[in-house]
Amino acid sequence: MAIAAEKLQQLVSLDRGEIDRSIFSDSEIFEQEITSIFGRSWLFLCHESQIAKAGDFFEAPMGRDNVLVVRQKDGGIKGLLNTCAHRGNAVCRAEEGNVKNFMCTYHGWTYDLAGKLIGVPGLQELYHNELDLAAHGLREVAQLDTYRGFVFATADRDAPPLAEFLGRTGRAGLEMIAGQGEMEVVPGIQKFVIPCNWKFAVDNLFDWYHPQITHLSALQAGLVPAPTDPRGRQMSATGVAGPDGAELELMGGVANEDTPDQIVFLDVFGHALAGPTVETMGNLDGAVDHSWRDTPRAREALGPMARRAVGHTNIFPTLWIAPEIRQVSLRVPRGPELTEIWWFTFVPREAGPQERAMTIQAAIHVFGPAGALEQEDGENWTQSTIQTRGTASRMIPQALKMNLGRGKIVDDDGQDPPYIECGINEHGQLWTFASWMAWLSGCGWDELRNRTTPPDVI
Amino acid sequence: MTVDHSIRAETDTLAAALRQFEVERFYTDEAALLDAHRYHEWVQLFSDDTHYFMPIRRTRLRRELDKEFTKPGEIAYFDDTKPILLGRVAKLATGTAWAEDPPSRTRHFVTNVRIEEDRGDELEVSSNFILYRTRLKSEETTWAGSRRDLLRRHEGSFLIARRHILLEQTVLLSQNLSNFF
Repeated sequence: MAIAAEKLQQLVSLDRGEIDRSIFSDSEIFEQEITSIFGRSWLFLCHESQIAKAGDFFEAPMGRDNVLVVRQKDGGIKGLLNTCAHRGNAVCRAEEGNVKNFMCTYHGWTYDLAGKLIGVPGLQELYHNELDLAAHGLREVAQLDTYRGFVFATADRDAPPLAEFLGRTGRAGLEMIAGQGEMEVVPGIQKFVIPCNWKFAVDNLFDWYHPQITHLSALQAGLVPAPTDPRGRQMSATGVAGPDGAELELMGGVANEDTPDQIVFLDVFGHALAGPTVETMGNLDGAVDHSWRDTPRAREALGPMARRAVGHTNIFPTLWIAPEIRQVSLRVPRGPELTEIWWFTFVPREAGPQERAMTIQAAIHVFGPAGALEQEDGENWTQSTIQTRGTASRMIPQALKMNLGRGKIVDDDGQDPPYIECGINEHGQLWTFASWMAWLSGCGWDELRNRTTPPDVI
Repeated sequence: MTVDHSIRAETDTLAAALRQFEVERFYTDEAALLDAHRYHEWVQLFSDDTHYFMPIRRTRLRRELDKEFTKPGEIAYFDDTKPILLGRVAKLATGTAWAEDPPSRTRHFVTNVRIEEDRGDELEVSSNFILYRTRLKSEETTWAGSRRDLLRRHEGSFLIARRHILLEQTVLLSQNLSNFF
């Protein structure tokens, strides 16, 4: 059943910066991902503010399992598999809401908020009081925990504690949202499907090479502000021309020659961050507020590199954190060539009407299916996925060679994660795939930690 | 007396029919502009104070259906002022909006037009729509939904002073919303 270790080792080459294209559409690999990655990893479910009151629930995916995240009467949170202990029917078919209990609409088995079986039609007459109610509650996830208000769960009892799993990079990434105030989720989770492999949707979050081309129209139309390089340099675009032969004038290029303007974190279990420094991004004409980075809380919780990093974090496998726009996104695998995108938007509880409106407007108009940026993203991932199917096309390795062999990883064992200072690069993507290969091998947690401890150079 | 009554009823019906015709003609002309990718002309059909809004719909229990749609001030798919609509049109005209180049092929069908309220200068109008789209070789999407418009009488026609678009999907079954509704 499992893919042979020998074959697995050939799917990703850290040295050559190459990936076997088959990993983006092979159904056997997808099945192994569902068990070895989504069946074991801590996965983001929702934010505590979404389930504030007792009986509030939000349904979240864990691989192919559907989990009801439920606020308990004592204020705690439980993750219950949404499947009746009798015949397996879903006990709840709404995405979110508030309930007193969950009743299966097949035969009426009823569970309380903690998943305890409290009602069975005909318990006396038909079951002769012999049914063990305690043994037939809703199944709980193996572990559930929160970090700074973010609710995670894992299906693996042996998984390390959440904070340890997150590592310095995951904790810093979550802090970059949580540190902006008493954050709460704005009602309305955008959900849409892209016919692509989930890994394309994930690795793109590290990609600061694509915006100037993929999102050129949004920059040209002024829908998103173009970053200005403080040194006034632009990336060279010699030979870059459209089908009509006209050279493209690039607007959003974050240039680099010798001075590093990007920060990358690479960390255990495949977590990573990549993107510009605060100085490089600037405040985009007042659209981005970096002031939280200088608060006492931020100084206490984040190291100096993390406070300078505006990049996007991926908490392996699928949680994208975009702090500059106060959003996180889940890339939910639904099939080898089908991915659901979920966007959550955060605003400080104490925000005034103007700040609240600005955050919401940015969230709606930048990412999401009608956003100025993400309309185009899906196109790349869909086409990249389709082209992994061709007998000849799939033999061409994917190339992640930018800055390859030049990324010096510094780990001073302080608060900051292992980091690289460099120009625009593909280190985050390559690290994700190298770690992905270790996850897929199904090795134990200690070995997994070892195999996903970053090298000195990437 | 009875003759007077029937004449008045007939006049009312004719006025209603004329108004219905004006609104429906406006909608079919609007749909023709969209399907011909004539976005610059289309966006001129909106008033400067317009609000173009498509909320998120959520699968909720019947007892919580009042929370089915998000509201203005919450997250939506479209929450546009006139300048933002103009920005979307400008983006499509850049020649670098790859999601619409090659352009998607669309067909808008607007039906069940009901004038809910006529305040003289402004009309509250609801309608149903189907937007059929194909993209590239084989991508196919059908969106069905309803629109709640505020139409303002303007120079013998109308301006759209508000459009709320309610889709019949919760999880959007398309990779983007690069078209107008």
